[in-house]
Amino acid sequence: MKPLTTARSLAASLALTLALAGCSKPEPDAGLKVYRHSAAGVPTNIDPLQAATVYSNLVVVNAYDTLYRYKYLERPYTLTPNLAAAMPKVSEDGLVYTIPLKESGRYIDSPAFEGGKGRTVTAHDVVFSLKRHFDPENTSQGKWLWAGRIKGMEAWAEAGADYEATVPGLRALDDFTLRVELTAPFPQFVHTLAMGFAAVVPPEAVAAYGRDLGTRAVGSGPYELLEYSKQQVRFQPNPNFREEPLDLEAEGYDPSAHAAYGLADLDGKAPPFVDRLEIDFIQESSARWASFTSGREIQFSGLPVEQTEAVLASKDPITLKPEYAKRYHMESGPEAGLVFTVFNMDDPDIGYHEDPEREARNRELRCAMRDAFDWEARNQRFYSGLGIVFPGVIPPILEEFDASLSRASVAHNPQQARERLKAAGWNEDNLPVLDYGLVSSVLAREMFESFRGRMVDVGIPREKINGETFATFGDYNRALRTSKLSIMGYGWQLDYPDAENVLQLFYGPNASPGSNASNYDNPEYNRLFRQTKTMQPGPERTEIYRRMNRMLIEDCVGIIGLTRSHVSLWHKDVKGLPDTAILGGFWLRFVDVDAATP
Amino acid sequence: MTDVEAPTQSSGLWSRAWRRLRRDRAGMAALLVVATYFAVACTVWLGLAGQGWSALGADSFAPASAEHWFGTTRNGQDIFARTIYSTRVAFEIGLVVAISSTLLGALFGALSGYFAGSWIDETILWVKGTLDAIPFFLFVVAVAYAVQGHPLAMHFAMIVTFWTTTGRYVRGEVIKLRNMEFVEAARAVGVSQASIIFRHVLPNTTHILLVQATIVFVTAIKAEVILSFLGLGVQDGVSWGLMISQSTNEVTAGFFNNFIAASVAMFMLVMAFNFFADALQDALDPRKVEEAS
Repeated sequence: MKPLTTARSLAASLALTLALAGCSKPEPDAGLKVYRHSAAGVPTNIDPLQAATVYSNLVVVNAYDTLYRYKYLERPYTLTPNLAAAMPKVSEDGLVYTIPLKESGRYIDSPAFEGGKGRTVTAHDVVFSLKRHFDPENTSQGKWLWAGRIKGMEAWAEAGADYEATVPGLRALDDFTLRVELTAPFPQFVHTLAMGFAAVVPPEAVAAYGRDLGTRAVGSGPYELLEYSKQQVRFQPNPNFREEPLDLEAEGYDPSAHAAYGLADLDGKAPPFVDRLEIDFIQESSARWASFTSGREIQFSGLPVEQTEAVLASKDPITLKPEYAKRYHMESGPEAGLVFTVFNMDDPDIGYHEDPEREARNRELRCAMRDAFDWEARNQRFYSGLGIVFPGVIPPILEEFDASLSRASVAHNPQQARERLKAAGWNEDNLPVLDYGLVSSVLAREMFESFRGRMVDVGIPREKINGETFATFGDYNRALRTSKLSIMGYGWQLDYPDAENVLQLFYGPNASPGSNASNYDNPEYNRLFRQTKTMQPGPERTEIYRRMNRMLIEDCVGIIGLTRSHVSLWHKDVKGLPDTAILGGFWLRFVDVDAATP
Repeated sequence: MTDVEAPTQSSGLWSRAWRRLRRDRAGMAALLVVATYFAVACTVWLGLAGQGWSALGADSFAPASAEHWFGTTRNGQDIFARTIYSTRVAFEIGLVVAISSTLLGALFGALSGYFAGSWIDETILWVKGTLDAIPFFLFVVAVAYAVQGHPLAMHFAMIVTFWTTTGRYVRGEVIKLRNMEFVEAARAVGVSQASIIFRHVLPNTTHILLVQATIVFVTAIKAEVILSFLGLGVQDGVSWGLMISQSTNEVTAGFFNNFIAASVAMFMLVMAFNFFADALQDALDPRKVEEAS
């Protein structure tokens, strides 16, 4: 065989390269208007039954409809009808809600439906979707929202969860009218209907796909899910989505605050506006930031703590340096939630104890650890100094927040901590070994070192605070729910803007495996919580909430708390105002971008 | 009991090897560096240095200064103290893994070689083959998961994985030795097999064990850095791997102290140990020793 000459070899290589390039997959979104959002976590399951994380919720509320949603721009958050035709009609005793539905709700086309065509959404679907949470065959993470509250629901589940059988408290009066009868007044009920858990799922999709709904979606939301993976979801507009022109004024548009975001151009047009919505899930902040600043990938990012000094011109008020302000829009504000650390009251080493004297000493130990903790340093070092440190569990964003509450419980007071330990008879030898749980990440490890360092400063030996590392947040969450740890730090994002949502974290009957990870069980607190469950918002209820808040501080049930401030940045070619606070995600139907992807 | 004089490597061989090593300037310089690191590790063990590695300070990400030679971390911790303390961690891991895997390799290699072709050899070879077939990092993840974050998970995974190479070398050497006259003589006078293996054959593989131990030591340190970077290594404490992992969020913000301190410290030790291992290998190579003599 004659060997190829160098020139021929090069020509052959070039031809092969060109041929391979020709074979490569074309850019799927070329020529389309694409908005690429990003999130810091991964939605592991997008079935509305499992929409427990902000990431799952983000996907669910865009693929499915909920009866209500929050107004795009109005603050404080205000509910507005979504699939519902109007706000509910509530009986005088606060027990019966009658909700009319729009007749224009329509599911995406899917093989799950007869003939592959999406059908109209009805009130029967809403009934079905809420019943699913109580079906013993399902594992629902949202069942707790309505447990014991809808008349006859538990009895229906115990009788075999026959979907043909009627639940007295949950009925479709006709195709477009829903009637819900509660066992007791539940002032937050309508808020729960704006959560991903309450998304409307067609029975045909459940029959066709079953557990596969964890990775696919058949809904009537503004978008149709094209692809789901642990790295990204891709949506296209739902062609069957109802025509609902954006009414900026009704959504709370304020020209003085919102004019810069290009929203005025969208007024009167029916969303969704983009051809593709993509959400990239990037857990590492440095990788997310690199993608964002590259200019060709994601168009939205939170500001990583490490970049604060480089990007911000000032922290109060928060402003961008000119070079960043030229390229990006920015929005900031306190999150609707808090971060905090709780002690496991079920652990006799630090919580309740059969010996009253030891229990009293345990309380002193908890209080001493709280005194030893330095919230200001935590805020500066881990939240860029943008967080708000406050006493108790009711964060400043809520109306029930008590601004007059003493700040002693969030003051760094190592001297008092040492005195408490000494007075209670604790010393290096008799202090218990306490397990502190953390997820295996750089930031979590640094927070742990910071926590332990503060304890060492007041005389608690290093080896008495044992770090228990968990590979994933899921593993850590399981440990929280099984009461395995002594000290647990985590964050809570509000499901709805009501202090009840944070106070329930300490309600005795919600103890592990429920949401009360601290296993705090104070009879008086429990009594007050039950009393407020049926009360409408008002000064009387607020006073009881504040009293409960003070009880948590008095009992030193945790080291509480801090509300983080978010700094959101997005590219200038994006028209929209990202909302990452309560159940963030509804705003994505209103997003638009200037030009199509080349 | 009757015994025979085994021709263990004579003091002459060792002294010649030492002379060769001393003539190797790069090798001696590397030994000096390793010795310096070891001295540093000893000062940490004795509580004379690096003890304040976890103490919180007032200044986050402070630059290098007279007070903090390498600057500080987010928590105000002294990066120099953390680097020094990590030397001890590196030596601990290196020594534990090197000694344990060398002992295991010597034991199984000797048994496998002495009983070559028997079911003992077959079994050991099968175990070695199975362990070698599992990708190292996958194995470590599996071990870490199985023992739920146990602090020695990484050590265990390394020891179980690293002994196989040493075992293979020792097996080959023992197969050669078992047919030599001194072993035949020992068998002839009725010396027990255990005694032949451990008193007469194994001491003659010392040069292999020594070189392998140095190689495993370096490999263990490098593996620790990678595993800690991935969150699978040191779980509670500080190490160069953890420092580099910590720096991932910092370098994008222009703070390189953690990264540079840990990387340079590790690089110097690994390089020095590699040079030293090469020099040791040359010095202990019987052919070269004979040529020199």
